[in-house]
Amino acid sequence: MQLLANALIAGSLAALIAGGLALVYGTLGVFNLALGQMVLIGGYVTWWLHQSLGLPLTVSIIGGLVTGSLVSWLTFELFINPFYKRHRFLPLVTTISLSMILDAVILLLFEERPLSILPGAKHMLEIAGVRIGQEHIILILLTILLLAIFAYVLHSTPFGRKIRAVVQNDHAAMSLGIRAFAMHRLIFILSGVLAACGGIFIGIDHSLTPVLGFPLTIKAYAAVIAGGKGNFWGAIVCAYLIALLEQLAIGIHWFGAFYIPAGYQQTVALLVIIIFLLFRPDGIFGSSSRAA
Amino acid sequence: MPILSVSGLSFSIGDHQILKNISFDVDEGEVIGLIGPNGSGKTTLFNVLSGFLKPISGTVHLRGKDITRAIPSKRAQMGIGRVFQNFGIFREMTLEENVLVALESLSKDQRGELGDLKEVVKGTLEMAGLTQFAKQKAGSLSGGQMRLLEMSRTFKTGKDLFLLDEPTAGVSPKMTHQISDLITGLKKSGKTALVIEHDLPFIGKICDKVIVLDVGEIVLHGKPSEVQKSKELQEIYFGADPTT
Repeated sequence: MQLLANALIAGSLAALIAGGLALVYGTLGVFNLALGQMVLIGGYVTWWLHQSLGLPLTVSIIGGLVTGSLVSWLTFELFINPFYKRHRFLPLVTTISLSMILDAVILLLFEERPLSILPGAKHMLEIAGVRIGQEHIILILLTILLLAIFAYVLHSTPFGRKIRAVVQNDHAAMSLGIRAFAMHRLIFILSGVLAACGGIFIGIDHSLTPVLGFPLTIKAYAAVIAGGKGNFWGAIVCAYLIALLEQLAIGIHWFGAFYIPAGYQQTVALLVIIIFLLFRPDGIFGSSSRAA
Repeated sequence: MPILSVSGLSFSIGDHQILKNISFDVDEGEVIGLIGPNGSGKTTLFNVLSGFLKPISGTVHLRGKDITRAIPSKRAQMGIGRVFQNFGIFREMTLEENVLVALESLSKDQRGELGDLKEVVKGTLEMAGLTQFAKQKAGSLSGGQMRLLEMSRTFKTGKDLFLLDEPTAGVSPKMTHQISDLITGLKKSGKTALVIEHDLPFIGKICDKVIVLDVGEIVLHGKPSEVQKSKELQEIYFGADPTT
């Protein structure tokens, strides 16, 4: 049960990041390898506003989300938009460069030491033998609420239907009068906001360090690939499944004697990518068309 | 004034010129067939007319307004409807959602003219003969049913000029008949269409005029009966006049 609770916490974080990434891949067909750094920026800015400037937590979180949306908008305008219509692989190169730039900026501004938005001991609760922090419960519930709002918008509003139309067939969407390129920009910014949410989640859950960027990107891609490239709900489900796999890998004493050191946790996501690309490249929920 | 006026339109990729100095007018209420062998530039011409490709020279006017540089969504809002060769439907959406999203993409005024959207959705699916599949995902339909859905959706969304790219390709004879009826209904309601087709009897049945493209150029232009008898058409399709 404790492993399940841990997986729920880690999965909620990964789901936020992977959901946005799946929408971006579904609509633009591009890889954003600076995603992990965009996650960290949202978290670090919230930390700075709350811990350095002493602003209230709510205001700091809003500040982190606004910064996340601005960074993703600038990323789209400077590193994606000029390139992706020429070739869908060009942003792969441009966003690798961006990830390196952002890594250096983060290191320069916030240094290597771990920074927590809410330092100190968590308010732990014991529910049915499972130890879980109050903050974790709030974060899990907020993630579920956010995903429920997303589900409602995507499936029950005209705006959501237009997003899904652009994801599934952008030429047909444009021929109906939907401004697909404006949607591309909006979806990219939305993914940046979700990434910033993830960064704030990390900063509250434990602490932020500059080296987290790349592993976060890999984990999000593992969920997107396993869920079926561009499938929003597939990515969400797989983010939780991969988190569960990670917890099982490091949390169980295999055959009663062997255990996998916690440092190898990140390799689970890489293994998932390799296995799916080899044996099921369309993912668990993949079909011949993209879906949202 | 013609509803569509194309003048001196050329398009190329690198050194390869795909459309060469294309000019023609389409009058309101006309159904014009666009025929020619594979690679003659028919779909490229449609992509230029609907704004997916930008010409290197020439102009496109819709009701006298220059739309040469307009983006595809703008052209759609101005009244150009497109039916794609490879199915312009949203496979992971239900049939109802496929129609609804098209209606919701219209301007507020256009939606107002159509009235209750739920009724329009119902009417559109009835028109396509697909009412019983309303709640199913569009990806579960057969090729012919997908085509009927796309055509009915395009016809019902208040467009003035329709670009239909091989509407009968890969469709059973029964559905070809249904598609023919849809286009005939469109014509009776005074709408205008350009239809790419390889099926010459089908073209003869539904079109007022035919334009023949070969290697990116207009080589013939006239009534279907005249064009079908033309030796040049036989040569374009078969390499030589089979009667000689």
